[in-house]
Amino acid sequence: MVMASRARLIAIVALCVMSASMHAAFASARIVVVATTSDVASLASAVGGDVVEVKTIVPPGTDPEAFEPRVSDLSMLSDADLIVRVGLGYDLWIDKLIIQLHRPEFQAGGGRSVDASVGVPVLEARGRTPVTEDGHAHGLGNPHYWLDPANAETVTAIIAEGIIRLMPAARDTIVANRNRFLATLHERIAAWMQQLAPYRGTALVAYHNSWPYFARRFHLNLIGFIETKEGVAPSVAHLSSLIAEMRQSGARAILQEAYEPKNFSEMLSARTGAPLVVLAPTVGGVPEARDYLSLMDFNVGALARTLATASQ
Amino acid sequence: MFADLALAQMSALGATVAFAAGHSPTSAAGIAYTFLFAAIGAALLTASRLIPNEVQPEAYIGIIYVVATATTIVVVDRSPQGAEHVKQILVGSILAVSASDLPKFAVLYAFIGAIHWLVRRPLLAASEAVHSKMGCSLLWDFVFYSSFSVVVTSSVATAGVLLVFCFLIIPAITGSLFTRSIACALGIGWLGGVAASAVGLAASFEFELPTGAAMALAFTLMLVIGAVLRGLIFAPAGGRRICIRIFLRAASAMTLMTLLLSAIWLMIMPRADQPMFDLLQSATGIGPATFLAVQERAVYVDALKDADYRRSQESRLTTLERQSRWRGDGLSDTEVRRIGSFQQTFNEMARGDDFVVKSLSGRARERERWYVGLPLLITSLLGLLTLLPGKWRADPARLRTACLRFLRAFQIRRSINGGIVSAGPKALTGRCQKTTYGCPDP
Repeated sequence: MVMASRARLIAIVALCVMSASMHAAFASARIVVVATTSDVASLASAVGGDVVEVKTIVPPGTDPEAFEPRVSDLSMLSDADLIVRVGLGYDLWIDKLIIQLHRPEFQAGGGRSVDASVGVPVLEARGRTPVTEDGHAHGLGNPHYWLDPANAETVTAIIAEGIIRLMPAARDTIVANRNRFLATLHERIAAWMQQLAPYRGTALVAYHNSWPYFARRFHLNLIGFIETKEGVAPSVAHLSSLIAEMRQSGARAILQEAYEPKNFSEMLSARTGAPLVVLAPTVGGVPEARDYLSLMDFNVGALARTLATASQ
Repeated sequence: MFADLALAQMSALGATVAFAAGHSPTSAAGIAYTFLFAAIGAALLTASRLIPNEVQPEAYIGIIYVVATATTIVVVDRSPQGAEHVKQILVGSILAVSASDLPKFAVLYAFIGAIHWLVRRPLLAASEAVHSKMGCSLLWDFVFYSSFSVVVTSSVATAGVLLVFCFLIIPAITGSLFTRSIACALGIGWLGGVAASAVGLAASFEFELPTGAAMALAFTLMLVIGAVLRGLIFAPAGGRRICIRIFLRAASAMTLMTLLLSAIWLMIMPRADQPMFDLLQSATGIGPATFLAVQERAVYVDALKDADYRRSQESRLTTLERQSRWRGDGLSDTEVRRIGSFQQTFNEMARGDDFVVKSLSGRARERERWYVGLPLLITSLLGLLTLLPGKWRADPARLRTACLRFLRAFQIRRSINGGIVSAGPKALTGRCQKTTYGCPDP
């Protein structure tokens, strides 16, 4: 009796050890990709599939341009094999963390760093310094490029290249993953374009200048922004000129992100009759936006629904 | 005084906790959270009567404020919505108040006003007996802070911490400057508050300023004007003219002192920030070009024109790209890239022109220090001398002693007779030997 239970115990311990070592072997076969935002993280996991383990630094729903890194982010970064950043000065704070870590291969242009903005046609290009005089990160150009779904093709290409560089053996898997993702993406882009086709040239107002890429892809006309400087309440003069402009060009909706204050948008909406539509600028910004494709699904759907009811 | 700020911060913490827990600050749950934290704040403030006399109440209240602020930041970090919320609470958005919000506020404030009217006697008694640790004083303190927290809770989400503080404190102080009677003080405070709000709103519209901050500054201006008026109104009988004279003299002394200091600053560091001369420049329209050589002036004017031209080219491209998003076939990626590259180049060229303008302005300032700085220095010094009290002007020895006393305050000993300057350790010991340094010992 005692012998039997001891044998059982040994068997259990052996099983535990085996499973732990298998887990370790499996884990070491995956490379850890740390992405600054959930959008590039979602694209990285679409490309990497089972080959990568993706972690995100900025929690979804937070404003990445105003993000303050924490100590826990430093430890997450020290375990990384590859860093994927949005670039264009959008996530400059990561440079401070990299300097702390003393790992030059994570710096821009290093072997373990991917700047997802490379190759993307930049809108509203400004200069060669990432930070503008007002401290806002639109110095190089508008950084919200992932909101044009066509740009996902360029972004996935450069992420795939980064992963393959670290793991040449996984090349075929990565390429197959990306092709699968692109096939779905192209199908969806056609559907989204069709969904928003009736609203070509519609005048819109946004709280923050996050939507130029989205506007370009879906042929929308952004006529102005509520916020003139980040974190500063707009002045009366700015708001009244915006109201006049909205009336003149017949603006039909106000685009707003979930974390932005709603009171000014609601006031403009009450004055002009243009409804407020809450869009998600990032994956996880609203519960429906679970990954990159559902993010775009949500944004296109929400805007189409609002414009449909507004035009009735 | 800072009790209000601490309480406002406690309700901001409550609103943030509600937000982190997934409630909108205007929902019932949100208001409950906010009020709960404000009530905790009220209890903590009431407890300030119980702390030992050695501890300053301001320090205690300051600690409550700091703890509330720090906790808010920690909660924000954990909440899904991030920092925008805190910014909104601090700055507020008084502009977004609609007419439908007004009845709610009117009813609430009328209710609180009625309570304060009914129990005004014990409340005033408790506020006068600051150091009393009696149970009833504590109770009335708690009643006061609780009603206060209701006001703060309901208004913080609308107007922001800054404005709530201004609305609650500044009119009350302004009123109490003029009268001991509570009713008169209230009247003055209300009228002044309405006027300051209107001025702040108008300034926000006229000068494109953030509304909340503009109103807060207008309230401060009202307080300063009130303080000056008080000096004039409460002057002793027949002494009003003297008071006005003293006030004018002090005001001109301050202006002359500012001019003197900025002239000195210009002469020491002509290329540093010179706010006074920037102001003069924009008021008179006499730009740096006046002080440049002919050739430099041509370069300066050219750089200004060129920077404008480059910026206009850049904005033309931006407009073109914006229009192309929805008009016609749109631009191809290659065209967008080409436009982007031109935009970058134009901006960088404009930045280069800005640099030329800045360095030439610096050179102009270097010359300006002799043409403008020196005359201004002499004029303001002479002006200050005329403002000196008559008895000093009559007796130069007296003036010299006063100057020496002033210099000694800065531990600088300069011998007026021998012209020997000493700033060594001996000078710092405060002992000055007449034989060596030549300055008279007191």
